[in-house]
Amino acid sequence: MKAPRRRRYLILITVLALIAAACGGDGTTETTAPPDTETTAPSDGETTTSEEMEEPSGEPIRIGGTLALTGVLAATGIIHEAVGEVFVERLNEQGGLLGRPVEWVLLDDESVPDQSAAAYERLITEDEVDLVIGPYGTGNITSAMAVAERYGYVFPHHTASLTYAYNYACHFSSWSTGLHPNITNPNLIYDALESTGTPPETIGFVVNEFPGTMFIAYGQDGTDEGGAVALAEDRGWDVVLDLTFPTATSDWAPIAAQIRDADPDFLYIAGLGVNASQLITAMQAIDYSPAGMFSQWPAPGPLLQTEGADGIMSVTVFEEHPPFTDDPEAVEVSALINQALADAGIPYTKVETQAAASWTAWEYLQQAAEGAGSLDQEAMCDWLLENGVDTLYQGHIDFRPDEQNYFEDLSKLKQIQDGDWWVVYPEEFAAPDRSLIFSPDE
Amino acid sequence: MELISQGIVSGVLIGGLYALMSLGLSLSWGALKIINLAHFSFILLSAYLVYQMSVSYSLDPLLTALIVVPLFFVVGAAMQVFFHKVQVDEFKSLIITFGIFIILQSLIRTIWSADFRRIGSELNPYETQSIFVGRIALPVSQLIAFGAAVLIAVGMSLLLSRTYFGKAVRAVAQDRDMARAFGVDPRRVAVILSGLTTAFSALAGVFIAVGQTIFPGLAVGWFGVVFSVVILGGLGNTLGTLTAGVVVGVANGAASVTWGPLAAPLVTFLILIAALLFRPDGLLTKRSVA
Repeated sequence: MKAPRRRRYLILITVLALIAAACGGDGTTETTAPPDTETTAPSDGETTTSEEMEEPSGEPIRIGGTLALTGVLAATGIIHEAVGEVFVERLNEQGGLLGRPVEWVLLDDESVPDQSAAAYERLITEDEVDLVIGPYGTGNITSAMAVAERYGYVFPHHTASLTYAYNYACHFSSWSTGLHPNITNPNLIYDALESTGTPPETIGFVVNEFPGTMFIAYGQDGTDEGGAVALAEDRGWDVVLDLTFPTATSDWAPIAAQIRDADPDFLYIAGLGVNASQLITAMQAIDYSPAGMFSQWPAPGPLLQTEGADGIMSVTVFEEHPPFTDDPEAVEVSALINQALADAGIPYTKVETQAAASWTAWEYLQQAAEGAGSLDQEAMCDWLLENGVDTLYQGHIDFRPDEQNYFEDLSKLKQIQDGDWWVVYPEEFAAPDRSLIFSPDE
Repeated sequence: MELISQGIVSGVLIGGLYALMSLGLSLSWGALKIINLAHFSFILLSAYLVYQMSVSYSLDPLLTALIVVPLFFVVGAAMQVFFHKVQVDEFKSLIITFGIFIILQSLIRTIWSADFRRIGSELNPYETQSIFVGRIALPVSQLIAFGAAVLIAVGMSLLLSRTYFGKAVRAVAQDRDMARAFGVDPRRVAVILSGLTTAFSALAGVFIAVGQTIFPGLAVGWFGVVFSVVILGGLGNTLGTLTAGVVVGVANGAASVTWGPLAAPLVTFLILIAALLFRPDGLLTKRSVA
């Protein structure tokens, strides 16, 4: 008995609607109402710190925010959740904020920008939170920032990639990419390659069509400034491959075949998450490996487990080795974060860009409130602009209003060597006895 | 030429995996009138179980099929018993199985977190092994998946066309009451078939775990290609599903190497639209169960 055609079309439409619903949050949370996951930092006085701290008292200061706890961005969102919990817990153990306990009102935005915006609207207007902290993910941050701006809230955020688009006077990015990562990031990599004395002669690009990676690879739409591809050409390197792939790519074999066909000395993977890991596996399957590879924003754990990934490079702001761990507090906090990540069931527990940027964003809020001596948003914003912030993981940061509050690009180049990530460039930040390994002849 | 050849070969092989992922849904929809969206989370759950068994007990990931496939057969059979009790029709099945999909996704996230999981190469040699014909590479894991898809598609086709059970399935698919009048127990047939379709999803999960990094959101990305293959292949038509998987895989691969990777999903959905317009009952309609 064949289903009548009209009925089948109807079923397909229903399926598509359900898929759309599932796409919002990988089908893992309620789709009819925003979840009410509320994380309240404990302030029960069971402090284990050796310092004598006064117990915070009074009405809790409520800090609102969303994170991608479910959906396509959740793998990284949960890192920010773990870091935030550690920060708030430690803050309360150390006397709270302005002498008051801190409570983090965390909502799940399901990785959907619209939900993030709606949640910030709710946090500010209905929950009347005192402060807000940004969500995770470029789209979500962009959406939430508009709400924060509408209500005049100071808006610290972690890892938004469309730097040029953020011109709210009180937004503060904690990801030290600078305003022009489409220029500074590729130049960092290219300078490092040239520092080896044997830079590549040919280079290939595979670019995720995600806006942030497109920006890094091709620069800002409507301008001719930077972009990894153009900057490589400027250095006289022959661009032998330039492919853009869909964000949801699952079949990497045809892309791997095209890379093998082009055979670049150096492959620039402007990708996210597990893109590089999957692509390397596909290249290994056809017995191909370029002499050098770079991955823009990879999930660091899966890459370490990927056969053939040894030697791949990426960017970072912090890694758990000297000189970054010369500060004992960085070691102490990193250990807390490692434990929190492990408790959350996250396999790769080391602090690197995401966790470091997350911690830094919280430091912005804390120091702004303490510096301004109040929770007045305007006063906090002014204080940040005037004083900058001393951060644990990224040093002192001075915001530059003439650069949309961005500051210099503090990215470093890291590389997988002997089964772990090591910063290898610039030299002053390189791990002991580590340097960039690259030779196009190999 | 070599590039096109590699693209086509890769397309054929990945098409086998697409077919393997689609066979269970096609049979379930075609023969049982259950549009089983939980099928996607069964594939993912199986992949996670394979991952866990491999990393916890250092088991060969392919050998874990001996555990997950029978296990999921039981799960599928039990699910059909439940469906029978609540008397689901096609539309109800969409909603109920979508609910199961959500629950299983949440369960996966709760147990394994939202982070990426990958079986390390020391436990998973298949991931990067290939057989070479000249410079054309045939990845071993995809070859095995393709072989499994062919075996299941042909085996199920023979089972459905040449055995009493197959006749019973077709009878139930066409008219349950009439089948019952002829001595067929529709409930029993449905329970066995549901067990089989869920077992197929478990097998697909094994190859997903072997070949990919897994995370809870992964299953959502399969909807488009699997539904394309199911529709293109014809509901309940196992050989059609295999053919459709290969057609979609080859079209994707060829489009990717010819016009770039961005063209691949476009081609998939153009094929789906063309199929709905010109072959709405599938590529090989005569062999359909439904």
